[in-house]
Amino acid sequence: MATCTGCSCLCPDIVVQAGVLNACRKGSSIFMHSKDNRAKPMVSGREVDMEVALEKATEMLSSSEKLAIYGMDTIPLEAQEVAIKLAERKEAFIDDNSTFCLGDFVEMVLRGILPSTTLDEAKSNAYVIFYWGTDPFQSLSRHMSLYTYYPRAGKRQRGYEEDRYLVVVDVRRSHTAKLAKKNARFIKVDSDDALVEGFLSTMDGRAGNYYEDTARILKEMQRGRFNVIFGGLGLKYGLKGKYEKFVEMMRKMNELAEVYFIPAGFHANMRGFNELMFEKTGFVNRYSFDTETSRPEYEFSELVRNDAIDTALVIGSDPVNSLPFDVAQKLRKKNLILIDPKLSLTSKIAEVVIPSAITGVDQGGTMVRSDGVRIKIDPLWEAEWSDRKILNELLRGVR
Amino acid sequence: MPITPMEVYKLLPKTNCKKCGEQTCMSFAFKLINREKKLEDCIPLFEEKKYAIQLKELQKLLEPLKEATETGLIVDEQLCVGCGNCVVVCPVHAADDPKGMGSGFGPTIDDPILRMEDGVVKVIEMMKCRRYGKNRVLCVACRENCPTDAIRFLEG
Repeated sequence: MATCTGCSCLCPDIVVQAGVLNACRKGSSIFMHSKDNRAKPMVSGREVDMEVALEKATEMLSSSEKLAIYGMDTIPLEAQEVAIKLAERKEAFIDDNSTFCLGDFVEMVLRGILPSTTLDEAKSNAYVIFYWGTDPFQSLSRHMSLYTYYPRAGKRQRGYEEDRYLVVVDVRRSHTAKLAKKNARFIKVDSDDALVEGFLSTMDGRAGNYYEDTARILKEMQRGRFNVIFGGLGLKYGLKGKYEKFVEMMRKMNELAEVYFIPAGFHANMRGFNELMFEKTGFVNRYSFDTETSRPEYEFSELVRNDAIDTALVIGSDPVNSLPFDVAQKLRKKNLILIDPKLSLTSKIAEVVIPSAITGVDQGGTMVRSDGVRIKIDPLWEAEWSDRKILNELLRGVR
Repeated sequence: MPITPMEVYKLLPKTNCKKCGEQTCMSFAFKLINREKKLEDCIPLFEEKKYAIQLKELQKLLEPLKEATETGLIVDEQLCVGCGNCVVVCPVHAADDPKGMGSGFGPTIDDPILRMEDGVVKVIEMMKCRRYGKNRVLCVACRENCPTDAIRFLEG
């Protein structure tokens, strides 16, 4: 039984034999194509031995004066710890994808501002399943069938037909919204603030925005007594960074029934990085070990745009593919070290490429699921150079 | 386009002669579509010359049903994303494998009706589905919960 590391669902029941059983399309392609297009050690575009690449990388790190470490969302906790130590040693900037993903929500959950629970509890007890600004069909395909709406467990033995109430809030009728049929509600919103206001009005006893929907949903929440809201990128960007009203809404809802919040989903171990950083520094991302604080300009894209760094160490991410074009262009002028298992677009402009392993396939470790539960992963086989081993080697040699 | 009993009834003798074993031609039409009776059971249709044209039309109309026995439940692999809703929702799965598919996981039995292989859903044991067999039920659980409408039932 293997564990899939395609997203933060971390499905534990994958069987890999002649084909891949039980994984969704995204997860199964990780296993099926694990041997394709693997990276080789390279310096200045030419293939070299691993020791040569490591030596060149150590030299670049040692001579760097303003270093940034970026990525790390798909490697296990044990490797992320070493990367953080490396950033500390060099008094460098450190950032991951959570700055433009759901880092805000994870931070609020870790600080206790939003009450949270685990996916297993949601599976056994939750009545109202509320997807706000997320389309799990696209990004977390098995989320609804493995953890929330469809399974029968605990107090919800009768499954989706009688024991669950689905609510989907989105700007358009997404694929997930199409599943809100009998015992369910789909709310099409133009402004998430308006819906938050609507909930607050109804709880005050006044008819505000969307009053029919909000009254019904609050009644169902009261009836079910244990409910979960899954917030996604639609909610984060819809609220535009101002969360006070949303937090107040959650607090007031908890006077009627237990209503918990779980961030919908992201990269396999993004929350692991946030938790390690929070424990060590009190901040979850875009941190500088030099000024010992976190500021918006320490976001990796901003550092590249403002020429605030001279060297970048990218681990398991593909900024040329996923970050804006002007950032990718500027990245060519920096000294770039890439640690990645595949020959991605970024490997075409990197000065040094160090091949690593794929978590779940040929390296193991501990990963943190979207609800904070730690999952220990045993790989199918062990590669010679895991991320942890590479980072330890760099840490040993850097001055 | 599903074949309706009315379309079949219009092409039958409509005499209610009961030679097929049914009380009325309408109930024979229903049983034809469910494949509990064969067209050859209607003896006047084959023996009397005046029904020759109707016989030809009926044979043409019922042609798709012949192939449907093998492929009654189809999953369009271009549309399927491997979300697993159909596997978990199926009532037969919930009864046969409560701790596995009934609880959202992959199958722990060897012969489920549907299973996710290589990222898409494949039909393994179609005959266990409630829509087939003697006491068939018009169950649409998997089709209703597929977000992309990738599941189709061939006989309507």
